[in-house]
Amino acid sequence: MAAAESPSTALRRRDLCSRGIRLAGKMRADVVDLLDAYVEQQGLDASASVAAVEGVPLAAVERWDEQTGTQRLLENLAAYRAFRALLAQMLEEQREQLGEADAGLGRALAAVLLQVSAFAYHLEELLRLESRGVPGEEGDEEEDGPPPPPRLSLFEQKLRGLGVLRELAQWAVRSVRDLRQLAKPSPATGAAPGLAESP
Amino acid sequence: MNPEETSRRLNQRKADKHSRLHSSNPLSTNPHNGFPALSPAADPAVISPQDPTLLIGSSLVATCTVSPDMRLRAEDLYWTLNGRRLPAASYAALGPSTLSVALARLNGSRQQSGDNLVCHSRDGGILAGSCLYVGLPPEKPVNITCWSKNMKDLTCKWAPGTEGETFLHTNYTLKYKRRWYGQDNTCQEYHTAGTYSCHIPKDLALFTPYEIWVEASNRLGVAVSDVVMLDILDVVTTDPPSDVHVSRVGDLEDQLSVRWSSPPALKDFLFQAKYQIQYRVEDSSEWKVVDDVGNQTSCRLAGLRPGTVYFVQVRCNPFSIYGSKKAGIWSDWSNPTAASTPRSERVAGGCDPKGGEQNTTLRRELKQFFGWVKKHAYGCSNLGIKLYDQWRVWLQKSHKTRNQVLPGDKL
Repeated sequence: MAAAESPSTALRRRDLCSRGIRLAGKMRADVVDLLDAYVEQQGLDASASVAAVEGVPLAAVERWDEQTGTQRLLENLAAYRAFRALLAQMLEEQREQLGEADAGLGRALAAVLLQVSAFAYHLEELLRLESRGVPGEEGDEEEDGPPPPPRLSLFEQKLRGLGVLRELAQWAVRSVRDLRQLAKPSPATGAAPGLAESP
Repeated sequence: MNPEETSRRLNQRKADKHSRLHSSNPLSTNPHNGFPALSPAADPAVISPQDPTLLIGSSLVATCTVSPDMRLRAEDLYWTLNGRRLPAASYAALGPSTLSVALARLNGSRQQSGDNLVCHSRDGGILAGSCLYVGLPPEKPVNITCWSKNMKDLTCKWAPGTEGETFLHTNYTLKYKRRWYGQDNTCQEYHTAGTYSCHIPKDLALFTPYEIWVEASNRLGVAVSDVVMLDILDVVTTDPPSDVHVSRVGDLEDQLSVRWSSPPALKDFLFQAKYQIQYRVEDSSEWKVVDDVGNQTSCRLAGLRPGTVYFVQVRCNPFSIYGSKKAGIWSDWSNPTAASTPRSERVAGGCDPKGGEQNTTLRRELKQFFGWVKKHAYGCSNLGIKLYDQWRVWLQKSHKTRNQVLPGDKL
């Protein structure tokens, strides 16, 4: 963030934050509906405890109050980029196994994937506004591309889907709170100490 | 071991593998990298067989073998199928850390994504799962029917077979080729006219027969329908008439006139058309169909209730396109067009005339009619229902005039 934030930048940040909050709120509602449909279609117990779902970023965070604005944005961006790839993979598996048998669920998955992509883009915009470079995605830098995902059993795929959607719903809540924090007016003179410390 | 402990151990095991593949940069999380290859040794438990496909009524013995790291014994385990605990009587310990379950006479899978057979630790934690696909092989698809909208495309639908439900996701592929020559083509746009349908939007030839068939496949096999042969010209339908006009016939309280145009999409083709009309009163859902309209593009509806709103729809059947001998296919009905019949002055006030009065009125009207015919019909050539209608318009006008002059005078 610049030392002294211009009024237009502050206005733009507040605008991006408030739109982001609305988007995250809608995403949360849609993910909760999707979760219900998913659990029913997969025959899973909604309260099943899924021990660990690898690759799914956890919304749970310690010392949330102490995070800087940039930290919040970077962690959100990392999470939503991961969800974007995870949802795309779920969608592909869904089509592979069930074709169009449950087109409704496929459409709902695709809609949430779109929202996640839009939200990631929104976060990138906010990072640019903070005069922070937007980190590249890991896959972009690798010459040979990412290694192929390991083959999970069909039951593992079901559980992973459950974990992805549950955690995404949690993230949507956290993102609303993160953006509310970011939308708060910052001190006129640019201490922004947190930002300087952030990675 | 309590559930938290089970989860902690599972998390720890996976996190150890995870950390080998992830950099410390929080933005480097890429799910494609995020799933380490799961080797059997890495899993807390392994179920065998994994994701089997079975016929309805068959039996299965599955085993769950726990990794030694988990420090669980066979007696610490139990099974669930779709969330319901399976009775211990169906278990057998096959070793210190292997528990089997016997499932007899399996029913069709509850969901197409497979039944969930899960091995749990005593505390309820999930150790491993296997999806069971229990069902039937597909049956030969039947009743393939196709239609072409304005000779531009082709849509076909079919029934999935006599038994229908296979309990497994069954994929249907509609294939077609020109008879005698041409290679197999696969239809791409499914579910356009219902669950079992496919739409071929373009690249269809006229004046050549097509062979069309449907292949059904699922985890248990493949079934192919009989081949249907058709010529596009024999299965043409068209858009419903879009310019349907409904209007009153003068003051005739029991009639409405309906007019429409022949389908514009077929104007360049040699064909004949026949039409049907259906109409209903505003407060009823029952349609009355007039199916003797023939190839006229107008029709008069008679015998209607006075002062009533009617909804009217028209549909078209283009047939004999370039001499095709087939019956043609009816279009959808046009959007309903509404019009009301004029209010009857004679029944104003909701009071129907009594039978005797009706006879007297009829006699008087007939007498008047014959007098009027003498004056207006020259010879018998023009005598017909149109002339009768003209007379009734005249009659109503004269009633109106009389009512204005003598308001108390009743018919």
